[in-house]
Amino acid sequence: MGAFLTRRRGLVPYLLLAPGLLWLAVFYVYPAFQMFISSFWSGTLETGFRFSLDNWRTYPAAIERYAEQFGRSILYATAATILTFLIAYPLAYTIAFRGGRAKNLLLFLVVAPFFTSFLLRTFAWKIILGDDGIVLGPLKDLGLVEPGFRLLATPIAVVSGITYNFLPFMTLPIYVSLEKIDRRLVEAAQDLYAGPWRPGGTIVGAAVGAGLFGLLGAIFAFELPLMVGLGALGGAVVGTGFLSESFARVTFPLSLPGVFAGTLLVMIPAIGDYVNATLLGNPNTSMIGNVIQQRFLVNNDYPTASALSFILMAAILVVVTIYARLLGTENASVARGL
Amino acid sequence: MQESIISRRRFLAGTGLAGFGAFLAACGSPGTGSPSPSAEVSPSAPPSAAPSTEPSPAPSLSSVLNFANWPLYIDTDENDPTKHKTLEDFRAEYGVTVNYSEVVNDNNEFFGTIRAPLEAGQDTGWDIVVLTQWMAARLVRLGWLEKFDHSHMANFPANLLDAYKGADFDPNNDYHAVWQAGMTGLGYDSAVTGELTSVNAFWDPKWKGRVTYLSEMRDCVSFALARLGYSNATVTKEQFDEAIAELKKAVQAGIVRAFTGNEYAEDLVSGNVVLAMAWSGDIIQKQLERESLRFSIPQEGGVLWYDCMLIPKGAKNKYTAEVFIDFVYRPEIAAQIEAYVNYICPVKGAQDAIKKIDEALATNELIFPAEATYSKVSAFRSLTEEEERYFDDQFSSLIGA
Repeated sequence: MGAFLTRRRGLVPYLLLAPGLLWLAVFYVYPAFQMFISSFWSGTLETGFRFSLDNWRTYPAAIERYAEQFGRSILYATAATILTFLIAYPLAYTIAFRGGRAKNLLLFLVVAPFFTSFLLRTFAWKIILGDDGIVLGPLKDLGLVEPGFRLLATPIAVVSGITYNFLPFMTLPIYVSLEKIDRRLVEAAQDLYAGPWRPGGTIVGAAVGAGLFGLLGAIFAFELPLMVGLGALGGAVVGTGFLSESFARVTFPLSLPGVFAGTLLVMIPAIGDYVNATLLGNPNTSMIGNVIQQRFLVNNDYPTASALSFILMAAILVVVTIYARLLGTENASVARGL
Repeated sequence: MQESIISRRRFLAGTGLAGFGAFLAACGSPGTGSPSPSAEVSPSAPPSAAPSTEPSPAPSLSSVLNFANWPLYIDTDENDPTKHKTLEDFRAEYGVTVNYSEVVNDNNEFFGTIRAPLEAGQDTGWDIVVLTQWMAARLVRLGWLEKFDHSHMANFPANLLDAYKGADFDPNNDYHAVWQAGMTGLGYDSAVTGELTSVNAFWDPKWKGRVTYLSEMRDCVSFALARLGYSNATVTKEQFDEAIAELKKAVQAGIVRAFTGNEYAEDLVSGNVVLAMAWSGDIIQKQLERESLRFSIPQEGGVLWYDCMLIPKGAKNKYTAEVFIDFVYRPEIAAQIEAYVNYICPVKGAQDAIKKIDEALATNELIFPAEATYSKVSAFRSLTEEEERYFDDQFSSLIGA
């Protein structure tokens, strides 16, 4: 046996890869190929479908008709990614550095929602955000919001739902990258006079806060100057209070791989999500996933649905490539610099 | 019995992924997309039971019957979900075992699974399938159904209520036998809105943001047609376009909160929504949770829909299927099913027969509607393939997809 392994060592990596590759081939490559073929179909479910390369026109037609939903998907997914980052980073940081003995329990709590079905978790938001629910009910009783105000069936509800549903995908990678940072590096930085970071922390905090909140304001078309102002103010306070020099120069750069992975894990499925828009949205918040679902299951328009799926894949690839170029290379150079 | 009614339409709404099977099936080459229950068909089924254009002098019963239905759509034993008294009664009387499968979750999805064998002229493996009327119309149009031999049937269509006779796609009931029916109307919270009886309430700015429409094209469009003074039974393309424009107005004015499947019922209970396009059965059920909920058929006209038993072309056990259909058209059997599923019963005499099971059910207007109620509802007319695609496409645009 040993001799066999020695002689056949060259085969081992392939044997280890085989199950994964087989899985990919059967459940990804083959369906993707089928879908590519069907995007060049014409015909109907009743008459049957015929393949012809002339049907490439399905693609531009689909882009033209559903540009709005494509754009909206990217905006909502971006907003949700920003929000998950803002929530997940402090959370992961606290668990990694201040978790102590409760670390495992806290991590369990982050993953706990996964024990409930995705659909039910989204339904729960209908109760939480209900017009007279636990959020709006008390506010209305206090007269802080007008009685007709609602959160459900608005873009805010859709983005909140996506943010909540994908939060663990951001938290866990950031936690892992923070967790494996050698604490002696932070101590070394402090020994080398890395102390409170002023005014750097205040400036960076204000800039990042203004940028992220400004982006959210732009996405929701909501009071842009106000959002930028609030973001700058909040960011400045957080930056002054919490951004130390050792965090800015050691901890954060070393956690960037986690941020990078988390962003991709949230952004990519969020662009294609349709459950949140269906349950929490209104007729003007449909995302591209809703269109694909409707085309596949209601209109039986397999060619358009397949074409849309491919366009979505291409769009995601482009977004991810740009993002990887921007953050991925910077990430690498920062790591080298250290 | 009230707890046991769970609307099968719930499955239309939530489980979108289930329908992906339709796509996969459509991808398969002809003949490979057929379901596998044919394996269950007993090889000893007498050849005389096989469908044949030659009239066989004395058809005999097969030993099995393959029946595809929606989930929770037949009487079921409270302790054993695999036991259905109606099917056991049938076996006791005829010696036929019914292979009952709750495999229909969506009309289009199921159609996808039987299209390939039907197109190739092969047996689908099913002897009876239950599908909604517009899908039945499509199958009739394609010639993919077996014609009933009425000489084998004493109760059907004799016991079919008149309201269900004369369907435009099959006026003599040669191909379809109604299994259950339902109505679509106004579901509202009477404590907030007072009594509502007009479809115009769906366009009333007073309820802006607190109204939901149905995402089922035929149901939703029927209300707009009624508002414009048209009927869904005679709708033309021009009238349909007008109806879509009318619906669009309500969407743009922000009156429509969302287009929903079954989840509107939860919103009515929680108070998020005060008025919804609603299915009759849901509201009876939800009154247990919010007493002020009401259901009414709009005075301008409501919607009648129904699911039909059909025998797919090439079914192996056609004669047995006919005997079974006739069996469920006995009033006492229909009553037995009705007492469990609580939809609208299409069988004459079942209203009297159900008194033996539960007196209250016999007087429930939403299970046994009065003649006057039937006169206020109509079924969406059958569409040609081209119309159907155009209507579905326009409606998809309206709901944002």
